[in-house]
Parts: sequence; structure tokens; C-alpha cells
Amino acid sequence: MERWSKQSLDRTYVPPCEQACPLHQNIREYVDLIGQGRIMEALKVIRDSNPFPSICAYVCPHKCEENCRRGRIDKPIAIRALKRFAVEFGGDRMVRIEQKTLFEEKVAIVGSGPAGLSAAYYLRRFGYPVTIFEAHPEAGGMLRLGIPEFRLPREMLDLEIERLIRMGVEIRTGTPVTSLDLLFRAGYKAIFVTIGAQQGRRLGIEGEEMAGVVDAISFLRDVNLGLRPLLKGKVVVVGGGGVAMDCALAAVRLGSERVDIVCLEKREEMPAGKEEILYCEEEGVVIHNSLGVRRVVGERGRVKGLELMRCVSVFNEEGRFSPRFDESSISYIDADYVIFAVGQMPKVPEDFRLPISRAGTISVDPVTLTTGRPGVFAGGDAVTGPSSVVDALATGRKAALRIQDYLQHRYPFEKEFERPILKEEMKEKTVEMVRKVMRFDPPRLKVEERVSRFEPFELVYDWESAVSEARRCLRCGMGAEITDQERCASCLTCLRVCPYGVPYVDEKGRVVIPPSDCVACGICVTECPAKVILLRRPSDRRHIEEGLNYLRMASDAAEKRPTIVGFACQYGLFGTGSLSPLFSYAKGGLEVIPVLCVGKVEVEHIIKAFELGTEGVFIAGCGQRQCARERTLEFAREKAARAREIIGGLGLEVQRVEVFDVEELDIRIAIEGFIEKMGALKLERSLREER
Amino acid sequence: MAISAFEEKLNSGKFVVTAEIGPPKGTDVSEMVKHIRLLKDRVDAMNVTDHQSSVMRFPSIGGCLLIKELGGEPILQMTTRDRNRIALQAELLFAYSRGIRNVLCLTGDAIDIGDHKEAKPVFDLDSVQLIRMVRTMEGGKDMAGNDLKGGVEFYVGASCNPGCDFIEPQLLKFEKKVMAGARFFQTQGVYDLSSFRRFMQYARQFDVKILAGIIVLFSYRMAIYMNENVPGVFVPEEVLEELKGLTGPEALKAGIAIAARTIRALKEEGLCDGVHLMAIGREHTIPEILEISGL
Amino acid sequence: MIVAQQKPLEEIIGMLIPYDRILILGCGTCVTVCNVGGEREVSLLHSSLRLAQSRGLAQGKVFSEYTVKRQCDKEFLAILEEKAREQDAVLSLACGVGVQVVADYLPDLAVLPGVNTVFMGAFSEAGTWDERCAACGDCRLAATAGVCPITRCSKGILNGPCGGAKNGKCEADRSQDCAWILIYRRLEAKGELDRMRRYYPPRNFRTTSRPRRIQGR
Repeated sequence: MERWSKQSLDRTYVPPCEQACPLHQNIREYVDLIGQGRIMEALKVIRDSNPFPSICAYVCPHKCEENCRRGRIDKPIAIRALKRFAVEFGGDRMVRIEQKTLFEEKVAIVGSGPAGLSAAYYLRRFGYPVTIFEAHPEAGGMLRLGIPEFRLPREMLDLEIERLIRMGVEIRTGTPVTSLDLLFRAGYKAIFVTIGAQQGRRLGIEGEEMAGVVDAISFLRDVNLGLRPLLKGKVVVVGGGGVAMDCALAAVRLGSERVDIVCLEKREEMPAGKEEILYCEEEGVVIHNSLGVRRVVGERGRVKGLELMRCVSVFNEEGRFSPRFDESSISYIDADYVIFAVGQMPKVPEDFRLPISRAGTISVDPVTLTTGRPGVFAGGDAVTGPSSVVDALATGRKAALRIQDYLQHRYPFEKEFERPILKEEMKEKTVEMVRKVMRFDPPRLKVEERVSRFEPFELVYDWESAVSEARRCLRCGMGAEITDQERCASCLTCLRVCPYGVPYVDEKGRVVIPPSDCVACGICVTECPAKVILLRRPSDRRHIEEGLNYLRMASDAAEKRPTIVGFACQYGLFGTGSLSPLFSYAKGGLEVIPVLCVGKVEVEHIIKAFELGTEGVFIAGCGQRQCARERTLEFAREKAARAREIIGGLGLEVQRVEVFDVEELDIRIAIEGFIEKMGALKLERSLREER
Repeated sequence: MAISAFEEKLNSGKFVVTAEIGPPKGTDVSEMVKHIRLLKDRVDAMNVTDHQSSVMRFPSIGGCLLIKELGGEPILQMTTRDRNRIALQAELLFAYSRGIRNVLCLTGDAIDIGDHKEAKPVFDLDSVQLIRMVRTMEGGKDMAGNDLKGGVEFYVGASCNPGCDFIEPQLLKFEKKVMAGARFFQTQGVYDLSSFRRFMQYARQFDVKILAGIIVLFSYRMAIYMNENVPGVFVPEEVLEELKGLTGPEALKAGIAIAARTIRALKEEGLCDGVHLMAIGREHTIPEILEISGL
Repeated sequence: MIVAQQKPLEEIIGMLIPYDRILILGCGTCVTVCNVGGEREVSLLHSSLRLAQSRGLAQGKVFSEYTVKRQCDKEFLAILEEKAREQDAVLSLACGVGVQVVADYLPDLAVLPGVNTVFMGAFSEAGTWDERCAACGDCRLAATAGVCPITRCSKGILNGPCGGAKNGKCEADRSQDCAWILIYRRLEAKGELDRMRRYYPPRNFRTTSRPRRIQGR
């Protein structure tokens, strides 16, 4: 949230992942930090705009991944898995519990689902006293009652709720709210209604009331509350969304002989996530597409099977849900149990006196989330109908902001992005030049181990896989830009050195670096003779100068010159660890300046390092094969050659500048050799000076 | 009426022999005098090179005067590398006044292959323009169109390269030189008779005299060196093979044999009007070569 | 465009000996394009000089840096009133034209050349610039199929080739093609060999007598 209101030097474009995320998380930044091995910092970025990242890490439908531009090259980045890695690595750290109460106005939240929990988190952060009223004996809403344990472990949920309570949020479980007037009379100044959509829809067809037929919500609630009904026999789940998949997976674990899914949609139209469909099929569930249920067939009040008819189309020309059937094509499927997962509706008490739409949901103003009843706001499934956890979290945050506006008598100020949004596709030529790297999928338990347990079967990354996956990110929108067309000499150097063919000359003869193609390797920045190309992300621009400056101040303070200064790739130092042996030489006077890829080192940096009084300077790359960008080590070598020319002209030995490719040599041996050589040169010099 | 004794000899149908005399780097001309004395009666005319390979030496005009004094027939070599048109015209006036009547017009080797690499390359004219310059002066005027008080007349020649690896542009240049007024040609070293034959088929249509150049090789290494570093010289593989493994006097003998053999073949086939012997630093071998080849 | 090469650091340091306060002045046009005198090189030279100072050379000197859009037009030099005010010398990284215009503009200061201007040429591939034009004032590219015999023939002759080419390469520089063989092939391909058969009279060097001047626009 802080990001939105800060005027910054950030000239990056908003990438599609951030745009697609309902919480607008700074995904690009935390993925890069994971690649750099800075997991804690990644976690901080995540927590900056996500109140419950551990929950999202398990169940988010990851719209970011659907929009990830890497998908055009090979496969999208496994963002959710990376987030889970960061969350599990960080544990309790980066969680700020202490929160003072700054205001008097009490806020009530009705419903402890994700929208309610999120709104509570943010309102508490703003300093308001918050109370959540939850009808059920345990908090969590659909997180506890709707999502099975094998998708979201209960310990995670309990942990987050406990943190919320420690922050000072009051949660009253087992306390259903029947009238909002009572709350106002109790002194609450604003109310956020998030009662969810916990009533399962029925189709209204013949046979629905038979024994053995249940709606998904009731079924899942029972399962999630610990009841384990034994479903011996054939189970048929009706529905094509995530809820239907959850039901099917639960049914597999409850002893069913066979589980089938029947849905209206064609395979590609199914609203369920691709992963969930995959998990179902892995566990033997059979999915039958384009079928609707005509009636439930039973005997003596107990279901025996379903009569199905072919669904010709699901949506009408306007894209609205309006299925059409071919009643002449009838088929039949055996069923001992039928679970209908065909939609949910909220159950809004009349006493709330809130406007209800035709679909049965609460109507609100889309900008302010107000219901028309003063002081009463609404959000979550109760307003939108069933949607995802992350959408609910975003609504909770928005509601918190709007309630704050209301309590402070402020006009709601909805600010979208300050930065421009990346819209164009990457051009074909550049797509071809990006090295294809297989996606590191997060590991999963084998099917045999999964189907009898209710534990999560998606496992977390190990460090190496996480870092490797994170480095596949294209860094959309944070590439290079020509900052001053006036000083640009149109020398075309950037065009000629770019390994990806990104810069081009437009009709007016100006050189343009399109943000939709640039992958931020930084080579053109170091080669531009007019120094007008800069990287859009501020930290990219500054970090080497800052590193050198810091080293200078530290050396001055300690009154000691570094013996050797090394520019080493951050991704290799902390990320993959290929350069981590460098740290063990620090006591020998070796100072390491981490750089975000050796492609960003300039000749002047090397010269400035010598100004610090060092004996030798080296550049160490994580390895040309490992490096996520092309030709970076090649350019680093050219810079070193130029630096050698300069120091040679000043009487310094050219062996004082070296470039190490960790894939071609043993870094320990190379560094030890270098240190020895520099030590010898230093000795020579002091002997000469003595004479 | 022939302008010079050299021209007369060529016109007579005799198989003419010319030789190259290399001047010293300095004022001690004793070696050069020795060579002139040795050869003046054995060959029909002698060229004095003009800073050959761009190495600064005693000038061609000086050598030609010496030849004249000693009773030989000189051919003045002029390159356009070192002097502008004013100096070139002046030298011709001087040469004519001292009785020199033969002049070979060359562009000259590049400065960079010589020993004064930092000198300024003049090239105010090229060889074709130099030939024209001579003709212009023979018409009684200088290049600026002014009348000459006392004119000149020369037997003008140029060089050509029948052994060049890409012959067509050389033929075109040859034609230009003939059009400009060259009357005789001394070619670069000839080794491969078949390519020389082809060249002569083309050259015969012009009413000019051709003297085939014969470079005396005296070692394998020298042949390789010339192939790689001396402009215009192409020693073929077969000839290199003949010299391989031989050193000192044996190699020289082989070189002499090759030269003599080539001369004899040229004479017997009547391919050209004579030969031009280039025995750089080994001028004393020339009489032997002439004897062996039956001249 | 105009191509230059940086002078060796040693030579530059030698030039600076008599001066204390030196402004390193870059040029944003030709020398930026050939990577020798633009903002990056100014900055790098500044750092290199500071490094030299830390090694005992160029002692006691204070450097400042600035880059103007072009040094060859004095309208761009107005900023020098301020930048060069307290300086003893200007080390210009512009081509010889720029150095002289700045010297005319700041007659009381020493204006020193930091680069050697070498030729007018074109970029051919990474780091390689080739001379293409000698500014002879009498362009004859029509007759030579677009290959300049003055810059690309080491002898600059007009009735080429000479007899020295080997393997299509020039006797003076084996890495360079013989320009006249290049001209021959191009004219032959176009069926225009009579352009090469023509006699071309000696050059009029009056067009290149120095200093040259064009009047009127």
C-alpha cells in the first residue's frame, strides 16, 4: 500500500502479473529477490501487500501465472510455489504483530471468511478497534468450511487467525448476528458484512431430495469439520468449478469405488483451475464434459443414478450463463452418491435491511462498497457470488480503506496505478532469442501416497529449485530506457550490442527501447557512449555505485585498504551459491561487491575500485550457462580488457584485473591464485618504494 | 627512326636482353660500377631501379648517368611515389639533356613496404598519367600547357603482370598504358609459360614490344619471401618444389637453371621480343645464365 | 562520420603538466558515436586521471567534466562561460574541428586535444571503423561504382590497379581488399567496364589546398 502513494524514481511499467493479481502484489520484485537468494526481503515484499500470504501460497488460483509472459516462451513462472517457498522459509519472521489503537471508532465485521479477516487486518493496521462476529464455532469461513485440508492445512489457517488475535483483533465465534441495529447500538461506528455465499444452489430437478444426494457446500462442511463419511460406491460430482474438484478429491479419499465428474462445460471452458483438474485426473477421477443432469433416478427414495442430456452450449452470444440442451440425446450414469456443486448463494437475514440483487447477492456501490444503509459496507462472496480467496482478500483491503475514508469523513480516493501498464506482447524475434529453460514444477506426492490421506500433497520447493525457477523470470517492464533523446547521439551502439535485438529505429529516426521486449540485462546501459540509457528500476541503477561508496567509507573508517575488490554476481553469491566460497576469503582483505549480474559492471567501476587503493580487481560471474541473460560474461571480459589498457598506461600490471567464469574453473583455486599474485605484487611494490 | 639504340635493337627483330642494376644505399657506387662494367656489353640495355620496394637508395638518374659514362645503354625508371608532377617533368628535362632516351614509367611500390614507413606517399600521378605526361612534353608543352624551351623525346615503356592471380584488370591496365603511349613493356617475373602464352595472345594485337621478366631465385626461403612480401611476384608451387631442401651454391645453381630454361623456352617459341633479367644482388650470375640459355 | 582515437593516457598526462585546473570537455556528436569522446569517455577519463593521481602522477591537479552537444558550433559553447571560468586548461575530447572552435572561443585558455582525429569513415562491425572519404573535393564515385579510390586504394591512383595486388588484397595492407579489383568486379557485374577503360587525368589538388573554405550558405 505504501507503494501507491509514494512519489518515486520508479520508472518501471506494471507487469501483467502484478496487474492481474487482485491484490496487485509486486510479484516481479519478490521473484527477483528469491532468485538473488534474499528470501527474507522477498517475504517482506509479499507481506507488504498480502495480509495472509501463507493462505494464498496454498490455494490462490494464480491469475498472475495465467498472465505470465514467460508462458509465451516456454512455461509461466510457478509464482504460487515460489510464494509458498518464501512463506515457509520465513516462518514467523517479517510478521509485525504489535499494533497500537489510534482511534476510538469501533468497527464490526460480520463473518470471518477471507474478506472479513483481510478487512480486520487492515483496519487494525490503521489503528481501529475491530471485532469480528462469526456464527460458527471456529473462524475462517470458507477457508475452514469449504476448502479441504489437503489443499489448505488447518495449522496455517489457525496460525494466521492467532496472529490476527495477537494484533488486537477481537474474534467472537459462535456469535451469529441477526440484526445490524444491535451492533450500532453496541457502539460500532461502521459494519462490514461478509457473510459469504454458503448456501448451495439446487437445480430444482426431479429427485434432488433423495437420500445420497447432497449439495457441495454441506458435503464439504461435514468433511472439513472432521466428519469422514464413508462413500463406498460410485460417486458422481456435478459441476465444473473448483468446488466440484475439491469434492471429487475428497470423495477419492473417502473410500469411493470410483469418482466421476459431470459438467456442462467443454474441457477448455471449465472454470476450475488447470492444476486442480490435473490432480483429479491423476487420482483416477473421470471427467465427462458437455453434459447436464435431466433428473435423478432412484429407488425407494435412494439415488441409483443420473439421467444426463447433452449440453449444446453454456453461454449465449452475450457471454451470459444460459445453457442449452439437446433433450433428444439422453445418457445414464450409475451413482450411489451424488454431490451437486452447481453454485452458491448467500443467506442474507432480512433484518439486515440490505438491498439484494436478482442473483440473491448484496448490492453495493462498486467504488465505495456501501450498501445504501449508512455505515454498512459489504463485500466478498456475499456480494460477488463465489469467487477466489485472493479476490476476497483484495475486497477486504478495499473495504478497510473505504471504511477509513468514511470514519474520517473523507472523500474516497481510489487511486489506481501511478505507473504505466505493460500492454504489448513481446516481439517474435526476441521470443526466439530467449533461452528456453524447463519450468521447475514444485514436487508432489505420488498418487498412491495421496489418495488415502487428507494432508496436502503439494510439497514445497527446495532452495535450488526455487532459485532456478525464480531466475526464469523475464523481468517485464523493468528494462532499459533512453532517458534523454536530446543527448542520445543515435550512435546505434545499443542496437548493435543487445543480445535480444530489442532496440530499434522508429520512423522519425529516433532509437526506441520498447519496454515490452527488454529483459533488463543491462548491457546497453554500460555501452551507451552518451550514458543516456538507464534501467527503470531504481535499485538496479544505483547498486554498484552504492556498493563502491560503502566500501570507500568502510575503508576510510577502518584506515585499511582492501587488498582485492571483487564484483561478484549476486545470483551466484546468494542465489545458486556457485560463488559463495568467495566469502571465506574476506579475512584476507578480499572485499566483495555484489552486482545484479556482471553485465552491469562498467569500466569506470573497475577504475574506481583501483582508486580505493586495492591491489587487484576481479569480476566473477555465476557462469555463462547459468546466467539468465546472454553474453553478459563476454561484455564483462571486454570491460576488463579496457580497464587493463588504462591501468597499463599508468604503470600498473595488467594481471591486476581478472574475470572468472565459475563454470570454467574452480573458484577457490582461482581466487587463491589471484590473492597470491596480488600479494606478490604488493610486496614487490613496497620493496621498490623502500629502495 | 629509332629514338634510342635500345629501340633500334628491338625493332631489328633480335631477341633483346635487358638487365636490372640495383643501386647502393649510399654514395659508394663501386659495386654498381662493377656490375655495369660486367654487363654493358653482354646485354642490350640496363635498367636502374628507382627506390625499389620503397627502400631509399642512390637515384635511378644517377645510375643511368654512370651507365652512359661507362658506355652502356641506360633505361631510366621513374615512379610516381616520391615526386609530384613538377619534379617529374624536371627530371625528364635533365635526363634528356644528358642523353638518356629510354624511360620506364611506373606507379611505384607502396611506402609501407619500404624502410621509411613514415614518409609521405606522393602519388601525384599514376603510371598511366606519367606516360601521358611524357607524350605531352614531347609535344612541346608542359602539363600546365606552357611552351617548353627545348623539348624532349623518349622511348617510353611500362610494366605489366602476366602472372597475376586475377588477370582481367591487369589486361585492362595494359591496354590503358598502350593507349597512353607506352611502346615497350618489361613484365614481372614469368614462371608459368602457359599463362604467359595466354597473355601474349592478348598482347600481340598491340604494336608494342614485350620483354618477359626473369627473376633469378637463389634459395627456397627467398622465393617464399618474395611470394609473400614483394608486390607483383607469384612463384608457382612447382618452382618452389624445385628449390626445396637446397641451400647455398646448390640452390643458386638451381635458380640459374630455372632462369636459363625459361629464357630458352621463350626464345624457341618466339613468344616475346626478349627478356628482362632481375638478379637482385646476384648480378654476377647473369653472364652464366645467358651462356646456358644460348644467348 | 568523423572518427577519432583516444590519445594514450601517458601522452595526455604529459600535456597537462603546466596546468592546475582542467576541464575535461566532451562532445555529444561524432566522437560519442565512435565511443571516444562522449559523456561515458569523459567520465572514464576523469576516473583514470584520478587513479593516476593516486599513483603519484598528475599531482596537484583538479579536474572537472562537462559534455556539450557539439563543440564545432560556438552557439553550443555558451555554457563554457561558466564551466571554464576558473580553469587553466580545457582538455577537449572532440575532433580537431571542435578543439579549434573551442580554442577560438576561449583564447585565454589552453585548449588541448585529448583525441587524435583520424578520418571520415563508417562503422563496419563491432569496434571496427573504416575510412571512406578523403574530402578531396572532386568526387568521382560515379566512375568507380561507389568505391572511393582515394581512400580505399593505398596509393590513391585513378587508373588502377597497380601491379601489386595479391589474392585480391593490397600490397601495402594485406588485410585490405585491393580497391581497384573491387571496382573492376562491380563494373563488370553492371556491364560498365568502359568506365574503367577511360583515361583519368591527374587530380586537381587545388581543391585540397589548405585551408579550404566554402562561401555563401
